[in-house]
Amino acid sequence: MKQTATVALCLLIFIVFSLPFKTYAGFPIGKYRDIVVPSFSYYSQTDRYDINGNIVKGQPGARFSSYSTSLFIGYGITRRLDFIASVPFLYQINALGKGNSIINQGVGDLVAGLSYNLVNFNYKRFLSVQVSGVVPLYSSNNGTSPLGLGDYGSEIKLMYCGSMPGKGYFNTELAYRRYFDYQGPDQFSFLVTYGYPVTKHNQISIDLLLFRSFSDNKAFNSNVFAERDYAFFKPQINFGHQFSRRFSLFIGGFYVPYGINTGVGYGGSLVAVFKL
Amino acid sequence: MKRKFYLIFFSIFICVVCASKTSAAIQQQETETAETGDIILKPSPQSKNAIFKSNQEVLYRLQVLNNTHDYKTGRISYLVTTDEGKKVAADTIHLAMHGRSSKELTIKVPPKPTGFYRINFMVNTADYDDTVRKVFGISPENITSQLHRPADFDEFWKQSRVELEKVLPKYRVLEHPELSTSEKKVYSVEMYSYGNLLIRGWLVVPKDGKKFPVHYRVPGYVVSLKPNMDNDDFIAFDLNVRGNGNSKDVVNVGTDNYCLVNIENKEKYIYRGVYMDCIRGLDFLCSHANLGIDTSKIFVEGGSQGGALALVTAALDSRVKVLTMQVPLYADIHDDMNVSASYDKQVFPFKIFRKYNSMHPGFTWDKFFQTFDYYDPQNFAQMVKCPVLMGIGLLDQFCPPRCSMALFNHISSTNKEFVCAPNSSHEVSFNYFLFQNLWLREKFRIP
Repeated sequence: MKQTATVALCLLIFIVFSLPFKTYAGFPIGKYRDIVVPSFSYYSQTDRYDINGNIVKGQPGARFSSYSTSLFIGYGITRRLDFIASVPFLYQINALGKGNSIINQGVGDLVAGLSYNLVNFNYKRFLSVQVSGVVPLYSSNNGTSPLGLGDYGSEIKLMYCGSMPGKGYFNTELAYRRYFDYQGPDQFSFLVTYGYPVTKHNQISIDLLLFRSFSDNKAFNSNVFAERDYAFFKPQINFGHQFSRRFSLFIGGFYVPYGINTGVGYGGSLVAVFKL
Repeated sequence: MKRKFYLIFFSIFICVVCASKTSAAIQQQETETAETGDIILKPSPQSKNAIFKSNQEVLYRLQVLNNTHDYKTGRISYLVTTDEGKKVAADTIHLAMHGRSSKELTIKVPPKPTGFYRINFMVNTADYDDTVRKVFGISPENITSQLHRPADFDEFWKQSRVELEKVLPKYRVLEHPELSTSEKKVYSVEMYSYGNLLIRGWLVVPKDGKKFPVHYRVPGYVVSLKPNMDNDDFIAFDLNVRGNGNSKDVVNVGTDNYCLVNIENKEKYIYRGVYMDCIRGLDFLCSHANLGIDTSKIFVEGGSQGGALALVTAALDSRVKVLTMQVPLYADIHDDMNVSASYDKQVFPFKIFRKYNSMHPGFTWDKFFQTFDYYDPQNFAQMVKCPVLMGIGLLDQFCPPRCSMALFNHISSTNKEFVCAPNSSHEVSFNYFLFQNLWLREKFRIP
């Protein structure tokens, strides 16, 4: 049970990590234009943070690894209104030690919604709101699945982004997500991104993510839903290269230096951005 | 703990949305230049672009600042006049203000019929007078105007095209390494145009790609266009029509005479060749796809005279796929004459036309229009079928907003938009160009 719980915990964190934040951000996509973002992500952990934020060493040989591909699409319906959707495909290996492991794979949660640009500040900065729904695309057993929470949910997000004075850009996102289950969870997140162009076609960006997930069930080992209550801070650094006006590639790495009831995770992502 | 998060989240959410809406409104007002004086008047229209609906009350927020340390008494008044200078509304209130104080007044003008109106805000004290001039529009998309299109207008321009085609262009494209950069190649371009006259332009081609849409820019009145190095996503082609910039080999007259060259002969009026130069520029672009020019994505742009040239080019030639113009000169030339008659002091272009008229007794206004009706951009408007974006400055006296909107409303294309810069005269705001950039990307589906 403990291993199963760990898998679920890791999965929750991984899903949060794998969203292609930096590629869409709060910038309006633009009427009639599309953005397609396939991505590949890797997440791994051996240790975890306990309820007090202390690191608990994992068992020898135990490791949770997840490989995910995700497809994000966005379409500019009007100058202010965008449709967005994303769906991940997950492949997870939970090594239990002593040569035993559990493998799970399949599509995860579909997230689809609309983003609306509330205010544009002289076409340099944009304030937008996004409302989306979460739909599990996998079957679950009594709400239990290694591929997600198995619950429908919804999210509202406020995004403020734009150019920095001089060079660079920023993006901030404040989000609230609610899963429609009596135990929730209710999730709050705050993301800050700063990007800086080192040359005309290369950029470096930094993401700082604060994430808090609340649930009435706070136990770690009792069942799989016990892992719905957790928090973490995750910095990520990315390097992006623009190959053409329509194609860019980002590579990034992250680590979780602080958490509560969550994994001491690290990993990376490769994100391709096609602007059509 | 969770309740605290809820409270914080939704408080921030609401505060940010409200604050940003307010900030956006303030930002709009702050774009006005800071003013000085004893008593400062800062009028702000309720509609940020100063455009109202015909059944709508016209509201201004008038901020009054006493910039002195003295108690001031006097009066504040406003006067609304039509484009012809006819008074249609006015009011006066008593002013009494302590030193270094401010107050805000709400000015309500009853609904007005379609059109543009000048509104002057005035302050008068014993030792200080000042007037702030603004313009507002009422449903300008409904402005109509009479076309004075000669019966043989189409035939005239068809014949002009025939004569242009008889001229061998003899294109000459020369790379200029001294002007090029690591990112862009600069070429000078020469070609022969209508009347076998040599004209020149500049072509700037980005190096990081194989095929680009084209930003084809045509010049303002006797303006010299230089290589446009600011456009990363387009090939920039800047054409100096005859008598402009580096195309002055034959026609080389100053600004006071340029629009008068052969004005008494519609066949030989300078703009016949000028309009054909713009078409020749298109010929050049479409015959040089080898330079990376995407001939299916040519947009033509210009301001003032360039706005008129851009419109005429788009009207006469379907190879233009998108048209953007700012403050188009000579639009609805008949009405332009009427509007300009109301000015306290004459300005271009009727300052020049009136002077010529007064010095040439035989040159009546009828004769003027017998020529100019072939060149009034408004008479070309119905022939424009491509997407159009137009920017106007509401304080413009060279190109009165009413004339620009009359032209705009005659354009056949239903895919057209206009942007008003309420505090600009013969220009548009920087925001217009930011919007134009996004608009072009939308039309050409550029990322």
